[in-house]
Amino acid sequence: MTSATFDTVARILLTEFHLDAARVTPATPLLDLDLDSLALMEFVFAVEDAFKLRIPQERLDPREAGITLQRLCEVIDQMVAAPAGAKAGVA
Amino acid sequence: MRADESLASVRSIRRERPVSLAAPVAVTGLGFITPLGHTVQAFDDALFAGRSAVRARTLELQGLDPITLSVAACEFDAAEVRSASRLPLDRGTAMALAAARTAMGQAGFASSELDADRVGVYWGSGIGGCGSFDAAAASLYGEHRRLRPTTVLTVMPNAAVAEIALHFGVRGSAIGYACACASSAVAIGEAMRAIRGGWLDVAIVGGHEAMLTPGLMTSWHAMRVLAQPPAPAPSTACRPFSGDRAGFALGEGAAALVLESESHARERGAAVSAVLAGYATNCDGSHVTNPDAEGQARAMRAALRDAGLEPSQVGYLNAHGTATTAGDAAEASSIHAVFGNTVPVSATKAIHGHLMGAGGAVELIVALRALEHQALPPTANLATPDADFELDFVRGAAREAAGLRYALSNSFAFGGTNAVLIAGVTQS
Repeated sequence: MTSATFDTVARILLTEFHLDAARVTPATPLLDLDLDSLALMEFVFAVEDAFKLRIPQERLDPREAGITLQRLCEVIDQMVAAPAGAKAGVA
Repeated sequence: MRADESLASVRSIRRERPVSLAAPVAVTGLGFITPLGHTVQAFDDALFAGRSAVRARTLELQGLDPITLSVAACEFDAAEVRSASRLPLDRGTAMALAAARTAMGQAGFASSELDADRVGVYWGSGIGGCGSFDAAAASLYGEHRRLRPTTVLTVMPNAAVAEIALHFGVRGSAIGYACACASSAVAIGEAMRAIRGGWLDVAIVGGHEAMLTPGLMTSWHAMRVLAQPPAPAPSTACRPFSGDRAGFALGEGAAALVLESESHARERGAAVSAVLAGYATNCDGSHVTNPDAEGQARAMRAALRDAGLEPSQVGYLNAHGTATTAGDAAEASSIHAVFGNTVPVSATKAIHGHLMGAGGAVELIVALRALEHQALPPTANLATPDADFELDFVRGAAREAAGLRYALSNSFAFGGTNAVLIAGVTQS
């Protein structure tokens, strides 16, 4: 996880979703962000738009317990590093 | 949402019915985001000085000639408003939530004084989350980007109703009204009826509109009802009832009031700043945009009957006064038919712009400020009234009105809906 990736994700949570900074740490599970399922989906869309990528459902199902912000950032870093063909479907 | 602002945990303190269908309803809170400012002090300063917030704005869109139009914008950052839902807010919804929070704060309820089942939200907006829809369309068609999962929720006309109800944990009726420029006046009047009828003790009421976005400004410009800002003095673009009137300035904002049955307010020892004394709504039933003076006069007479007043008891009239050729002519005629030239009239859209769905609420607040100050705000930019209008216009400067007891506010809408509200000083 790069700090730049985490900073971008954190900024979205703080400015667009008005979360308290104390809650936004790498170890925080997505399900503990105090966002309901709709807001969580909006958050994932915002992250994908910020990094211009689409995270496949199987790599990041927020309903699956235990996925943390750190894990989200690692997935983003892997996808950003992948060849362009792996980012199919990005609008 | 702060815990102390939620009603969800409170118990019932009273449920009796009914209040008289003719009873005045107490006003116990005010809040607003307007082009004149967001505080009562700033609003009063501009209002009674006749200081205009209207400015010129030029819009340049690809493939089209640039257009310059008159707008009255708010200094407001929607991103700073936190919603209880955590969902993104349309700019208008953010304004609505901010206004409602100020009004409820001023009403000063202790949590034990409110029964959430007896609190309602009655809220007006002409086009709801049109700015969000405009942005979504630009994103989809212009930038070929996907839309967000919450697009529908930011666009829907009752988004503000939902956010206000959620923020305060309201469990009574929560209803949105969409009748163009009369939306918030109708919302306020219908809430007044619900309280009089004993269905509610308290209502958070008002309206919002935020359509200073490219698509909406272009739509209004195409209709040719917006004033062209004069180059040397753009703030004089809107000139209601003037011989040289040429349309209105597109405004934005939100205004909220807390209405309460007089007995509920008295029991909790609330400061009652004024009362709503009368309301009526009807429809011209004749044309979508061309107003009918007869329909307007019927609405004003019905509101006077509702308040149990003679025309001579009304000491101030805040006109709808859009500064369009046909609109002002019809209203000058209808006011004269009901009041003759005895009631002082002013039209404050000259300074705060046409706030559409928020207009009725903002202009009711103008009437309330006149009652509070015992003074009448001037109509700005009215050096020479149209020679055909035989009315007593307040113009040039504010006018003292010692002994003012009742003030009337007109709201007349596209679609033919007319709404008239009458406010009064608190009986002592």
